[in-house]
Amino acid sequence: MAKQLVFEYEGVTYTLEYTRKSIEQMEREGFRPQDIVDKPISTLPALFAGAFYAHHRFVKREKVDEIFAQMGDKEALLEKLAEMYQDPILTLLEEPAEGKKIMWEARW
Amino acid sequence: MGGALVDQSPPHITYTEQFYEVFPYYLSIGMTYDQFWNDDCYLAKYYREAQKLREERANVQAWLQGAYVYIALDRLKPIFGLRGGRVEPYLEEPLPLTSQEAEERQRAKEEQNLKKAVAMFSAWAAKLDLPEGGE
Repeated sequence: MAKQLVFEYEGVTYTLEYTRKSIEQMEREGFRPQDIVDKPISTLPALFAGAFYAHHRFVKREKVDEIFAQMGDKEALLEKLAEMYQDPILTLLEEPAEGKKIMWEARW
Repeated sequence: MGGALVDQSPPHITYTEQFYEVFPYYLSIGMTYDQFWNDDCYLAKYYREAQKLREERANVQAWLQGAYVYIALDRLKPIFGLRGGRVEPYLEEPLPLTSQEAEERQRAKEEQNLKKAVAMFSAWAAKLDLPEGGE
């Protein structure tokens, strides 16, 4: 099941999700995931707006920006959106066979 | 020297390019355009797993058909006037489809052999009239 982020704003329930098509559209518009690190201030709103393409394609950008401005805990939001953004590509990769996985840990 | 700095970083491959690269494969295993591009992205994973099952099933069917051919040829031996010579038995199981499957089978076979050897040794040791308590 695809990862989704659900919230309600002004009586409307929004479901944020990335499909391969929405990622294609975001990249066509110039979105580059590596910019999240270099230019997080300008990239995060675009990442947020791209998550609307799957289920709320016709919501205007001004509305999306308005919602974004109201979102709490932006750091956690960025983390979740980045994780969701990876899924359409990660689900195309083969998992290594059982017993052959190299375990790893992040140290930061 | 003194030339302008040139960006030598490798060309950036977009996700879109990678999607298009694998898209024909997913079409070939039955995914529709809409499922690949617009549906739950996890569908791709399940289509891959389903394809693996289909391949395994086809392999077993091919093996079974081979067994029937083998038996039929064996029964037709008198017609062909074949006599003598060593007849190889038919494959015990379908051929492995991947190197991983081949390794797993090899490992299972080795384990089975080891168990057999231990059982034989235990049976042999039980038959021996060994004095109790060592010395």
